[in-house]
Amino acid sequence: MTDAPNGPWFTSLPPCETLVPCGRGRHCVRWEAGELRLASHADPEAELVLAALGGDKARCVEIAEAWQRHTADLTVLGIGPRSPADEVTVSWDDVDAAGQAARSGASVLGYGAGPLASPPRAAMARASIRYQQYQQEAGEASQRRLDMLSLLALGTGFQIRLAGQVVAAHADRLDEPDKLGRTIRSVLTAALDGRLAPVAEQWLGIDPDQVEVSLYRGTGWGSVELTGRGEQRRLRVSLPAWWLARVWACGLALTGRHLVVAVERAGWPDARVLALSAPGAEPVSRSAHAVSRPSGAADAPHWEI
Amino acid sequence: MDREGAETYLRLLAEAAMRGSLTPAAGPRAPNASTIMAAGHALTAVGALDPVTAEEILTDFRLATTARQLHHQSGGQGVTAAEWLTQGQAVLRPRQVPARSPGEGAPWEDPDHGRADHDRADRFVPVGLTVPFRAGAVRGELCLMSFAQTGSGARFIAAWQVHSPSLEVQLSHHYPGLIPFDEFTVTDDRGARYELDLTPGSDLAWPNMIRLSPAPPGTIRWLDVAPPYRQAIRVDLCSSEPAPAGDATRASDTTLSPGEHLLVMLAERLLTGTPEFPRRGLLAAPPTSPRQVVAGGFGVIIAALEAAGVLSPLSPVPARLATLCASLDLTGHGIAAPPTLDMPEPWLSLLAHYQRRKPEPTQMREGYAALAASLPELDGIRVILLGLQHTQGGSALHVLVQGQIPEPRPGPLDIDLNFPLSLWLKDSGGRWHAARPDRCHQAGQESAIRLRLVPPLTRPADRVEVLAGGRSAEVRATLPLRWRYLS
Repeated sequence: MTDAPNGPWFTSLPPCETLVPCGRGRHCVRWEAGELRLASHADPEAELVLAALGGDKARCVEIAEAWQRHTADLTVLGIGPRSPADEVTVSWDDVDAAGQAARSGASVLGYGAGPLASPPRAAMARASIRYQQYQQEAGEASQRRLDMLSLLALGTGFQIRLAGQVVAAHADRLDEPDKLGRTIRSVLTAALDGRLAPVAEQWLGIDPDQVEVSLYRGTGWGSVELTGRGEQRRLRVSLPAWWLARVWACGLALTGRHLVVAVERAGWPDARVLALSAPGAEPVSRSAHAVSRPSGAADAPHWEI
Repeated sequence: MDREGAETYLRLLAEAAMRGSLTPAAGPRAPNASTIMAAGHALTAVGALDPVTAEEILTDFRLATTARQLHHQSGGQGVTAAEWLTQGQAVLRPRQVPARSPGEGAPWEDPDHGRADHDRADRFVPVGLTVPFRAGAVRGELCLMSFAQTGSGARFIAAWQVHSPSLEVQLSHHYPGLIPFDEFTVTDDRGARYELDLTPGSDLAWPNMIRLSPAPPGTIRWLDVAPPYRQAIRVDLCSSEPAPAGDATRASDTTLSPGEHLLVMLAERLLTGTPEFPRRGLLAAPPTSPRQVVAGGFGVIIAALEAAGVLSPLSPVPARLATLCASLDLTGHGIAAPPTLDMPEPWLSLLAHYQRRKPEPTQMREGYAALAASLPELDGIRVILLGLQHTQGGSALHVLVQGQIPEPRPGPLDIDLNFPLSLWLKDSGGRWHAARPDRCHQAGQESAIRLRLVPPLTRPADRVEVLAGGRSAEVRATLPLRWRYLS
């Protein structure tokens, strides 16, 4: 299952936006059709060039850069929300405080090496190289976490969309390691478990710890079966990795008391989905229609069959 | 070995722990960071998971849980953004050692050190000589158990008896600073002189490894060890080479999987970490002690090892662990297998010891027995037994270990991966004593280890049976002992 012929994974997602403190004001950052857009910055690339020449970098531009750096970062799936109700609340004050802490901490990250009596040059050079390498790694790790905090501060709608983007970046290459050597299949299996288990609890009232998931590799949509009783009860679910992007991230996972296992025709606000009424049943094709929540929050889509 | 299965298991465990952290009503048996660490340590110990990956899984879990506590003010559970940045300190892999200052390294850490001796045959000689000494107000005895010379250097394995006029107690364990190393003189058969000092890396509480500096040639026939102002005592170095492991040595194949081998190590860690008397007192052990962590995580560890393909679901070892936990009053271990009566004889012997209502009266006097016995290689590891010692109510076996010594991986399971063997002694009364690493000094592919015997010897056996077990084989050797006693 890939983007074609059903359109990109985000076809069933509406745009979402938020206000970000930037400079002396608050600017709108908008996600639409798989991209982050900075409505208040006409030419972000020109601003980047100016920043490289020593000018200040606008926070909106920093966020857009962070977004780009993390669209394939599997850590996003470990930290981000497991469901729309799992709100990870980070304020911009938090981001500012963390940024200050990182800047002040940078000076105390060294080894504290003392003066040497008569240090040979080669040993000093080796120590210096290792020290620089350590500082570089520590700086990169700190930057990654600051990035992550900024992205979390954008709110749940953005967090879920970023998760969809990360899944889409990896769903067709499960057998490869990522840049950090992580096994993509393992990470996506855990991501599926963490996101499907609460859906199954809502769907069947089953204990989430009794849900066993695996990544489906064959043709078709996968399988869902319920076995055992009492403590031995298990819901065994096998779904493709794309389910996380095309179904879960688009808010379609549990629609009209049905577990949606695939999207047949993506679209917003109307889509056609393959839905299960019960474990073991054959999925049926249904029309799904997005409705506005009473709060009007378009970044958290709600669908009905 | 299913490395992907291992990683997936740990990630799923972290997800379950994450769910538990989001559910205030989650029971105490829900997995948490400690559970992830225990399973991660087990998987890295058997080589199914890279420690860096295990560390990242744990770090991501901590970042995820604490990100959700950024604005929790009640109950003291909240964290600040600055604290969030520092989540995930390394616990499953050693931190990178900073660059060492020139001259800071010790000789045994120098890759060039001893290279000239590399091809020289190792030499292990039982000694069994007591050298009385007096240095100022301090007097005592230097008890030479054995002599060992390898590419890492030459040393005596020794025990000390130290007396001072004001304190007529044995001080060798607690005040080794009183030992006058520099007042001894050592001369070989060619007239060359050597100094005695503590093996670098040994701490002052372990004065059993005494280095000769510089290392003597491998061909010398004897050493004269002279205490201050006294006649030298000659140590014959040609008496027994190569070191045999006794006449009665039997080796047999075993087929422990890596997972079973780890569980056996954990079981023996439990057995040797159990306090003595009163028995009921062990229930009061703090819940965070390694013993509790090990016992509380057994179910998860077993599941992790099965997921990694290093433990068969049909293995008898988990059932033995269940029996062990039940016998030691350890609950909450989470082992699904029912207890079994099919227990290893040494385990039963030690359990019987713990079931005693009061300590067995001891007939042991303080002393030592010289040894220099090499056991057949086990899993690429050679063990040389270099002395048995009984002092201050405790018994210790001194060994040198050579070969493919795994990298130590510190972690919550508190297991000694740099001594990945099971070693037991059976005394002449039929009681088994587990030998557990107490002090270790590693130099490349060689470790000098002091093994504490649990329980200590209670009578001076004239022979012991040694049982050493690895993954692929086990060895039984009977060793005659000749005890020498301290004055």
